[in-house]
Amino acid sequence: MATVEQRIKAVTARVLNVDADAIRPEHYFTVDLGAESVQSVELVAGFEVEFGIEMDEEGALSVETVGGAVEYITRICKEQGVEVEE
Amino acid sequence: MADARRPHPLVDATEPNLLDETFPYDLPPLIRFEGPVVEMIDGRPVEFDLASVKQRPIYITDTTFRDGQQARPPYTLDQMVRIYDLLGRISGPQGVIRQTEFFLYTANDREALDRCRALGHRYPECTGWIRAVKGDFRLVREVGLRETGMLTSSSDYHIFHKLKFKSRRECLDSYCEVVDAALAAGVRPRCHLEDVTRADIDGFVLPFVDRLMEMSRQVPDDLSVKIRLCDTMGFGLSYPGAPLPRSIPKLIYKLNRECGVPSDRLEWHGHNDFHKVHTNAATAWLYGCDFVNTTVFGFGERTGNPPLEGAVFEYIALKGDRAGIDTAAITELARYMESIGLPIPDNYPFVGRAFNTTRAGIHAGGLRQDERIYNIFDTEKLLGCPPRVAITDKSGTDGVALWVNEFFGLKGDQRISKIKVAKLARWVIDQYEKQGRLTTISNAELEAKTRELLPEYWAMYKAGRP
Repeated sequence: MATVEQRIKAVTARVLNVDADAIRPEHYFTVDLGAESVQSVELVAGFEVEFGIEMDEEGALSVETVGGAVEYITRICKEQGVEVEE
Repeated sequence: MADARRPHPLVDATEPNLLDETFPYDLPPLIRFEGPVVEMIDGRPVEFDLASVKQRPIYITDTTFRDGQQARPPYTLDQMVRIYDLLGRISGPQGVIRQTEFFLYTANDREALDRCRALGHRYPECTGWIRAVKGDFRLVREVGLRETGMLTSSSDYHIFHKLKFKSRRECLDSYCEVVDAALAAGVRPRCHLEDVTRADIDGFVLPFVDRLMEMSRQVPDDLSVKIRLCDTMGFGLSYPGAPLPRSIPKLIYKLNRECGVPSDRLEWHGHNDFHKVHTNAATAWLYGCDFVNTTVFGFGERTGNPPLEGAVFEYIALKGDRAGIDTAAITELARYMESIGLPIPDNYPFVGRAFNTTRAGIHAGGLRQDERIYNIFDTEKLLGCPPRVAITDKSGTDGVALWVNEFFGLKGDQRISKIKVAKLARWVIDQYEKQGRLTTISNAELEAKTRELLPEYWAMYKAGRP
């Protein structure tokens, strides 16, 4: 099973049309990966579908980096009883 | 000028101060005053207590069927009855819209008057409008009206160049003869001082009004002459320090305090040639004129008159009370006027289709958090129109989410987050970025796409409903 980080990178690569292998945890979704406003929302929607979770809009959209998303989604998965590979 | 600079330390707070005493939200923002206003008149300072308007009985009058009809093809009888009925509803039991005036010259004019009166509304009271011709009072008497307006033009432009009088004396005597005829007929004359903001105030207007007041003293109170100050060309100015004849404060002071015309016999009639029409009317209220004359949505000769609905909200803002006014009937009147061919621009205040519609995503974001941020007052409660969003490339996901929630009628915790409308937001963006679209997306298009892209919400909130 792929890790949270790998799954986040795959969704990010698909939504932002970037190479998944080039994505680093320290990358900012906007500045480094080029996410525009609507794409930030599409990313969150994509993560919800990928992990089968519900995220708070304000909390999810305040996450700025790939690494931050890994931490945030891992925590949400635990809270919502969704098993993931860390 | 003295140096007024001083330090302004931050007043830190952890709770917002929303200034509720001025912005109650369930009413339009209240208009408040701090202390008297001083105007220099004839070289002397004169104090005006503008705050007294809150206690003073002030009213709106209407000339939709007279000045309003001079700007368009005539209304049908049925249309006039419907408009009058709605005016009655807006006016409310306290009669804030106190009077409306009718032409009396044709059989149609008189039938319209009869049918409106047959509705049985106490307000607005029906009055007439005639030329300053003695024989015309027969018309007023025949239809049983107690009051009529009559043209008594006051500027030399009118006296000499339009009416061709040889002198002011001849003009004044002629007007007074007609006023005498009205009084003799038992009809209260309302003298319309046409073009007063371009008249010789000391040389003609005040002597004429003095004479009218003298004539009024000879008759019962209910016949005493009323004065309508007609800013025929929209030249009136509300600014302190402006001289006569354009100064509205000074005009009202002269008639009210020097000639002794009581406030309840003074009326302001404006025109919008310089975009000053509403503020000028409100200024007249503040400086001692109890009545402002309006038309629905400002429709009137040339650029129009003070808009009635603007006066209604000004009234509520000055009084701090709705006074029984049915403000929602204003929206009904607007939709009716549109249905009979009277165009109301989308951005027209209070009733235009987009008056509380935002297109900017950042404003939509604010509206989603707290509608007070970008809505002028509780427009749903007062006008039956909740704030809306129109979808363009600038709307963002906030705008799309706001539209979807409004479309499904969802409030509070029920509202769908913008994460859930990402697909619809993507479709909107692609319309502009990939399809090259340049127009606003219509509600019908959004509705169809909502059904297609958000089927789970459609099934939950829309399926089986109209």
